[in-house]
Amino acid sequence: MTKKIVLFILCFLFFKSAIAQKEKDSLCFRIKLKWKTENLELNKNYCSKNDTLQFSLLKFYVSGIEINYDDGSIYKEKNSYHLIDFEDDNSKIFTISKKENKSISKLVFNVGVDSLASVSGALSGDLDLQNGMYWAWQSGYINMKIEGKSNSCKTRKNAFQFHIGGYLEPDYAIRKININCNNKNQIDLVMDLSKLFEEINLSKKNSIMIPGKEALKIADLSTKIFTIE
Amino acid sequence: MRKTLLLLGFSISIFGILAFSKSYFTPIYFEIPKGFPKPIYNFKDNPLTEECFQLGRKLFYDPILSKDSTISCASCHLQQTGFTHVDHDLSHGIDGEIGTRNSLTLQNLAWSKTFMWDGGINHLDVQAIAPITSEVEMNENFENVINKLNQNQEYKDLFRKAFGTKKITGQLTLKAISQFVVSLTTSNSKYDKVIRKEEKFTDMEQKGYNLFKQNCASCHKEPLFSSNDFKNNGLQIDITLNDFGRMKITQNPKDSLLFKVPTLRNIEFTFPYMHDGRFKTLNEVIKHYNSGIQKSKTLSKELLIPLNLSDNQRIELVSFLKTLTDNEFLFNPKYSFPKK
Repeated sequence: MTKKIVLFILCFLFFKSAIAQKEKDSLCFRIKLKWKTENLELNKNYCSKNDTLQFSLLKFYVSGIEINYDDGSIYKEKNSYHLIDFEDDNSKIFTISKKENKSISKLVFNVGVDSLASVSGALSGDLDLQNGMYWAWQSGYINMKIEGKSNSCKTRKNAFQFHIGGYLEPDYAIRKININCNNKNQIDLVMDLSKLFEEINLSKKNSIMIPGKEALKIADLSTKIFTIE
Repeated sequence: MRKTLLLLGFSISIFGILAFSKSYFTPIYFEIPKGFPKPIYNFKDNPLTEECFQLGRKLFYDPILSKDSTISCASCHLQQTGFTHVDHDLSHGIDGEIGTRNSLTLQNLAWSKTFMWDGGINHLDVQAIAPITSEVEMNENFENVINKLNQNQEYKDLFRKAFGTKKITGQLTLKAISQFVVSLTTSNSKYDKVIRKEEKFTDMEQKGYNLFKQNCASCHKEPLFSSNDFKNNGLQIDITLNDFGRMKITQNPKDSLLFKVPTLRNIEFTFPYMHDGRFKTLNEVIKHYNSGIQKSKTLSKELLIPLNLSDNQRIELVSFLKTLTDNEFLFNPKYSFPKK
C-alpha cells in the first residue's frame, strides 16, 4: 500500500514539474491590430491623410519566427506558420515553445509564406488551401489580404482589395521583420494599419490581385507597420 | 479470475480489430512503364492506396465540387477522349459559361512539372482548386466544398477509410483527387507496343514515325510526347481572346504567346487542338506547321523553317499519330465513373 502511495506521489510530482516546465518554456504571442492607438474594428470608418476607409477583411501570415536572446543565442520555431485572421480571435494568440528562460533581445519573423512551402503542394493546418490564402490560377500563397471600402475608390461597391503575394523572383513579396525587444514570456506584436494606409492613395490604387511591382510596394510598406508593445 | 481473463482477452481482441480496421490501407504500387523516365510527382508525400484512389475517383466524378452541383471534373475531362473536353474549342462550365481556353488532357501527369496551358500551377496537388474556384468552371469557394463534404456521411466514411481521420480537410481532399489523376497512365498504344517489339508499324506508320522524329520530336519528346517546356508555335493571336499565355504568369515579355507543349498521346480523340481549340482536325494542325506559321519575336526557333510536307507525307504523319491511341486507357473501367 505504501509503495502505491509513494508511486502516486512521485507521478504527481513528475507531471507537475513537467507542466511547470512547459509554462516556463513557452512564449505567448498576442497580435494586436490597431489604427494608430485604437484597436481596429471591422466596418468602422477611419481617416488617413488621403482617404476615409473601412475594413471588411484582414488576414496575413506570420512565419519563420526567430527569437534572439541577450546572450546571442537564437531559437527558431519549427514549422513556423501562423495565419492571423482578424475575425478569428484564436488566431491572434499563440504560444511557441522556447529553449530557456532568458531575456529576449530581438524578434525576427516573416510576413508571408516562404517559397519552399509555396511549391510543396497541399499542406495542412494554417497552410491548408481551404483558408482562402492561396491563388488558384497561379500557384502561391497570398501573404496578406486586406479588403474594405472607401468612397475614394471608384470601383464596384467602392471596394478596395489588396492581395499581396509572390514567391518567385523578381516578384518575391515575403518580407523579414526585425524588432528589438526586451520581453520575457509574452510578446504583444502590434500591427498599425494607419502606417500602411497613410502611404496609399486609394483613389489611385485600390486593387492588387497578382504578384508584381505594385505588390512589392505594399510588401515593402508592411515592414514598417509592426511594433512591440 | 477466469472471468476477468476472458474479459481481458475479449477486450484485447476487440481493440485489435478496431485498431486494425482503422489503420488498414491497401497500398498501390505506381508502375513506371518501360522506357519512361522517373516520375516528377513525389509519391512519398502522398503514398497511393486503393482507398484513397477510389475516394479521389469519386470526387473527380462528383458535381458536389461545383457551386450548384452541376459540374464535375469529368464534365470537361472525359475518359474516352483522353480526359479532355471534346468538340468545344473553349471549354464551358457552370451555367453554360465559356472559358478562355481548350481544356487539356489528363494523361501521364506524374511526369508533369507544371500544369495548365500557361504553367501557372506548380504542383499537381494544388491544381484542382483552379477549376473549382474559377467563375466560369465550378464557381465554388474551396472552403465551402470542404464544408459540404464534412456534412456528407458517405464522404466522412470514405475519408476515414482513406486517411483514418474523422475531419475532412482541404489538404486531404486535394491529395485524394491527386491520387486519381496521377494514376492516369497511358502507355499501351500501338506505338508503345512497337517500341516494346510486341507489334509492328505498317509501312505508312513507319514513314510517318520517321517524319515525326525529324520534324516534331524535338518538342514533343518521346515517350511522353510532350516536354515541360513552353513554346510559341506561331499561331496568329485571336483578338477576341488576346491570350498571351505564359507571359500572364511570369510578366516577362520573353514569354509572350508561349504555351505548354501538350502531349500528343491519344491525339486522335482529343480534338479540337491548340490552346484555344482553333483546329478541328489533325490535317489542319499539320497544315499550320506546314505553311501557317506566323513569325514573331518569341517564335520557337524550331519553327523558323516551315515543315513543307507533301500531301502524302501529311497522310503518313497522321497515320503515325493515330498509333498513339491507347484503347486500354480510354476504356479502362478502373478510371471510369464509379458505379456502386
